[in-house]
Amino acid sequence: MAVDPPRRPSALAAEDLPLQTPGSAWELFTTFTLITLQAFGGALVHIERAVVHKKRWLSSEDFFGLFAISQALPGPTGISFCVLLGDRYFGLRGAAAALAGFILVPAVGVLTLAALFQHFQQLPWLQGALHGMGAASVGLITVMAMRMSRGLRGERVAMLVAALTFVAVALLHLPVSAVMLTLGVASVAWAWRLVGRAPP
Amino acid sequence: MSAPALLALFAHFLSLSVFATGGGMALASDMHRYVVDEHGYLTHTQFINSIALAQAAPGPNILFVTVMGWQMAGLPGALATTLGMSLPAMVFPVLISRASRMAQFNRLIRALQRGLGPIALGLMASTCFLLTRETPGPWLGLACIAASVAVLTLTRTPPVAVILAAGVLGAWLPW
Repeated sequence: MAVDPPRRPSALAAEDLPLQTPGSAWELFTTFTLITLQAFGGALVHIERAVVHKKRWLSSEDFFGLFAISQALPGPTGISFCVLLGDRYFGLRGAAAALAGFILVPAVGVLTLAALFQHFQQLPWLQGALHGMGAASVGLITVMAMRMSRGLRGERVAMLVAALTFVAVALLHLPVSAVMLTLGVASVAWAWRLVGRAPP
Repeated sequence: MSAPALLALFAHFLSLSVFATGGGMALASDMHRYVVDEHGYLTHTQFINSIALAQAAPGPNILFVTVMGWQMAGLPGALATTLGMSLPAMVFPVLISRASRMAQFNRLIRALQRGLGPIALGLMASTCFLLTRETPGPWLGLACIAASVAVLTLTRTPPVAVILAAGVLGAWLPW
């Protein structure tokens, strides 16, 4: 079910090793906990390194195929990916183990951090620190948007769809659901024809 | 927050998640509309703080909805937003194992990826626009945003280092 060819050259040594399967749902849980604790802003690289290179659960091609499906499915990509991978080995138990590994420990961590910040929020320097971090977060989101737009460079229809989405959501304050049910459906229909025409 | 309000919050995040394309951050402008503008559950500053904390801490960025829910209504709030945001991602992958035997499955996945890519970009740009327009300062905030964009595009500094450095710097700035 490969969708796109792997975009990143993978280490040949790892590619030659035979594929493995996870020993237990517990191993899925611990693996995804380790992945997520290294993931600051974007888990893709860390998931690939662990799942393709270290554990050899997936070939590089399989990984990008599964990732493409996760992106296409509704809901956050990382969560879809955990569920898809876990489900493949131990059914629902595996899906739950991978997903719990991915979000449980960081959720407790980030809530602890939030509680600490809330408790000390009267301190002026702390509010200043949060202002600074917030501004850098906006910068990070801006850079992500810039990277996304680079992928669409030269595609006129795609840029038009992106511009219309921006006008609808940012300027006219329309709900995302309304945009998806009109523009989203039209855009996927257009892509469906385009993909059908191109050789696979 | 009352039980019906919590349920409505869960339902709103659930309905948003179904349309999540390009990650949860793309949906932040719609969440802002619901949580800050329409219901006043959070101030704009609290909203941005949730994003900043989630990006500074390890783990997926989608956890900013967990922090948001927790700030609104404690643990029940955190569960409402987090479960609402992740439920579709738990259900659809399980359904897809049947759909993958469909004749044109690969074409469908490719069409969804290509068709939704530009929408995701438009949503992401909307999030940027909203967060930039209401930055604290505002000149100091805008300067910080510009500086972090410059550092992230021109150097290979990891994002978390930029956010932490901005935190240290922010503590000293006269906001």
